[in-house]
Amino acid sequence: MSWFELNEEKFHHCCQLILQQSEQLSDGWIWEVVQGSKEGYLRKTALRSVTIDSKSVQKQKGSSLDPEPHTSYHSSVEQQGQEDEQPDCIKDDIDDEDAGICMMTANSSQVLQFEYHILYSCSYSSPVLYFRAFTLEGRSLTLEEVWNSVHPNFRLCLQNSPLDTITQQEHPLLGQPFFVLHPCRTKDFMRPVLQAAQDQHRPVNYVLSWLSVVGPVVGLDVPLKYSTQLHPAASLSSTEPD
Amino acid sequence: MQNLAVQRLTEVVMASDIGAAAVADLKLQFAPFSSALEAGFWHQLTQKKLNDYRLDESPKCIKGYYYNGDPVGLPTRLNLEFSAFDVDGPTPARCSPAAGTLYNTNTLDSFKTIDKKALLEKEAKEIWDAVQSGAAWKDPSSLCRFILLTFADLKKYHFYYWFCFPALCFPDGIKLVQPPSLLQHAFSAKQMAALQEAYDGLCMKEGTSAVPYFLMKYTDDTAQLAPLGDWEAFVTDTKKVTVGVYDPCTLSQHPGWPLRNVLVLLANQWGSRVDTVEVLCFRDRTLQGSRSIQHSIIFQVKLPELPNSSVCPKSVGWEKNKKGAMGPRMVNLSECMDPKRLAASSVDLNLKLMRWRLVPSLDLDKVVSTKCLLLGAGTLGCNVARTLMGWGVRHITFVDNAKISYSNPVRQPLYEFEDCLGGGKSKAMAAVDRLTKIFPGVNAEGYNMSIPMPGHPVNFSQTTLSQAQKDVEQLEKLISEHDVVFLLMDTRESRWLPTVIAASKRKLVVNAALGFDTFVVMRHGLKKPPVTQSVSTAADSSPSCSSASSSSSTPAGSAPSVPGSSLFSNIPGHKLGCYFCNDVVAPGDSTRDRTLDQQCTVSRPGLAMIAGALAVEMMVSILQHSEGGYAVASSSEDRMNEPPTSLGLVPHQVTHRISSGSNVTPGASLIEVQCCSCSPIVLDHYEREGFSFLSKVFNSSHSFLEDLTGLTLLHQETQAAEIWDMSDDESI
Repeated sequence: MSWFELNEEKFHHCCQLILQQSEQLSDGWIWEVVQGSKEGYLRKTALRSVTIDSKSVQKQKGSSLDPEPHTSYHSSVEQQGQEDEQPDCIKDDIDDEDAGICMMTANSSQVLQFEYHILYSCSYSSPVLYFRAFTLEGRSLTLEEVWNSVHPNFRLCLQNSPLDTITQQEHPLLGQPFFVLHPCRTKDFMRPVLQAAQDQHRPVNYVLSWLSVVGPVVGLDVPLKYSTQLHPAASLSSTEPD
Repeated sequence: MQNLAVQRLTEVVMASDIGAAAVADLKLQFAPFSSALEAGFWHQLTQKKLNDYRLDESPKCIKGYYYNGDPVGLPTRLNLEFSAFDVDGPTPARCSPAAGTLYNTNTLDSFKTIDKKALLEKEAKEIWDAVQSGAAWKDPSSLCRFILLTFADLKKYHFYYWFCFPALCFPDGIKLVQPPSLLQHAFSAKQMAALQEAYDGLCMKEGTSAVPYFLMKYTDDTAQLAPLGDWEAFVTDTKKVTVGVYDPCTLSQHPGWPLRNVLVLLANQWGSRVDTVEVLCFRDRTLQGSRSIQHSIIFQVKLPELPNSSVCPKSVGWEKNKKGAMGPRMVNLSECMDPKRLAASSVDLNLKLMRWRLVPSLDLDKVVSTKCLLLGAGTLGCNVARTLMGWGVRHITFVDNAKISYSNPVRQPLYEFEDCLGGGKSKAMAAVDRLTKIFPGVNAEGYNMSIPMPGHPVNFSQTTLSQAQKDVEQLEKLISEHDVVFLLMDTRESRWLPTVIAASKRKLVVNAALGFDTFVVMRHGLKKPPVTQSVSTAADSSPSCSSASSSSSTPAGSAPSVPGSSLFSNIPGHKLGCYFCNDVVAPGDSTRDRTLDQQCTVSRPGLAMIAGALAVEMMVSILQHSEGGYAVASSSEDRMNEPPTSLGLVPHQVTHRISSGSNVTPGASLIEVQCCSCSPIVLDHYEREGFSFLSKVFNSSHSFLEDLTGLTLLHQETQAAEIWDMSDDESI
């Protein structure tokens, strides 16, 4: 049964392979080591631009149903707070005359930063995806806001999928609040994938296959080139179990 | 959506270009940096402020980075993350570092009043010094700097900040000789391939994955690159000089900010010998594994002369806020940094997990928003409170008149040994303190007060009488203000008054009572709204006046009698009995013929935990039922049928006997017309006469209620009842 099990050593091996491929594909995965410990995790950040419909901002004020407007609603609340606290005199000493600046138009879109971490869970013997999303100011999004950043059509089918066990937890290595896709179902959906690979004598990277299933749930793309690269490479047979 | 935004942006850019073209002199304009902070940065700043900086306001070195591979449409960003404070740490791959100075002020006032112009000039002077000394040639990354001014309000988790990206200015701007064009239009595929290869070679040679500035020579099929510092050797023909800049901007007509200061460097050193400079804004992105540099832009500018090369030029760079005005920004991170907010959201998210997979139709809001009044803060009260907290209930009020004694903490999970010292703290108050410690988001209140009881006279003096009146009024007020009343006291009599008041006010009552190894948990019948009271009570009471023993008592109307079904099936919520209507379950053995005080503290310790938990679970099930307290009582037979709520059955009462196994038996019983507590005649007297009626009950012997209802004496009933209410701290 070792074929279906992912021990920590195998996890690290899979991660190394992903890192090598990511390097070739410039996909942005890096290995973060936690200071003062041997543990580490795969990390990637991604940016996404979300368009804000200013009309619906007003309509949907306070509603948690509508995504992008909700995000901007928070921001506008902050701005209001800022106005209260920031007297105008503050700009008096600044000469902002600058002919060399390109005037940026008012932003109709909001950029969100997504941060993804892949950790190994000893309890579940499986990889776990931690993630968080924040605005360019560094304000983390609530789970509702994260959901709402997903396209509505996609959202519906995700909510019906068995994977939507997202909860908030402290990052085990960083101690900061993250969202996490709970690993309790991981083995269920990995088993057929691994079984099929074994039957066809295909090399399989457990972490990569897993990521291609869970990643899209939270907006994380896994380029197809990872697997097209994987198959012809004979060297990757080392991922096969002993 | 994204494409639309991009398109809009492009249109705006084109429009402004047309406008600019109308003016004779086409001036180069730079896209400013937008600050981009990761949540981790603020966490780390908080740690630094608390542990290292404390009150130290002196400038600190930090580090940011920028990237030239963004897809079109994203703003030109300068990123600061968690690692910003580790100045010597690695820069992310293919990113270019920017050195920064952090000014973290201790007060909002000094954040506001600090001389921003002086900060900018100080930083600009350093850049200018590096330009003049020539240090910038060796280390051109020193040209790309930033200032970050912050104030961290760690009580509210509000962070005020203002970025500045200092840029030295030419007084008359920079004239464009040849406007920007995409590299794919200016270069052949061969040239682009050669350039890409040369750039990778330069990176390799420099031992980095991003070179911020470089020199370039190219022919129709070759490209040569060199570090900026190699100018003397590399640039042989000053008629045509090409400078490459690692460019984070994605606009097709504008370079990003990092180009500004390097043009000053060139002008200062070579302005007299070089007239025109060709600029390559090198942009290098990989999408889905495919790399391209064809969207880089290339243009030519006339290198202006600096008027007086010994004086630092004018500088600009404070970032505009989101409204496009000169001003700082503020971000409120209380939701992700305030531990209390985090606890609250974690509790809610955890509960929501039930909905996502197991009970999709669970209405958590109904549960969480329920206001619960706990009468009694002993073994039952403590366990009920903890289970309510587990369900995310925020509003919990305790009523108890006892103090915590030494025997309590081992059985009552909200108290500790320390609470018993010095005569003991008030239970109601100590319970509130502990709930708040367990979960600061709870809205808990405590009332250290007695509940007047039948047969316990209050008329010793005017003082005792008015105290009793105050207690009754307080209890009435509390019951009005809550949604669910839990009866968790240690005597039978003390349950009488809240039962009457709650019945009159149509509040849901959940009652739990313990024996030695048995308990009952029940909901009181919820009477129909008072508007129809006179009619419905008459209608309700007449058929069931024969009480449980009558064979014809199956209620008419909502539940027609089903042949073969038990007598107690299909009783609607408004016809269910209260604690006093029933002879509650009959364990029947061990404790018969003992007096109440013999029973004190004799209850198996696990019982209160089970009963307390079941009482809360019963409340939650009732709340999930579409009819709430009017829900038909489920019976054991209903276990085979479709459950009435997403959480299963809603019985009238459950009884349990530990010694006979773990069977929890649902049962139901009808309202009793002679009930001393919820019968129409009692309620009628209470509603008409108020305290004067109540005081008669308190002061009289049991015959008063007996006379009124025709029922057996309350105390006789107590002695005969087979479930006793236990006192936890009665001293012997």
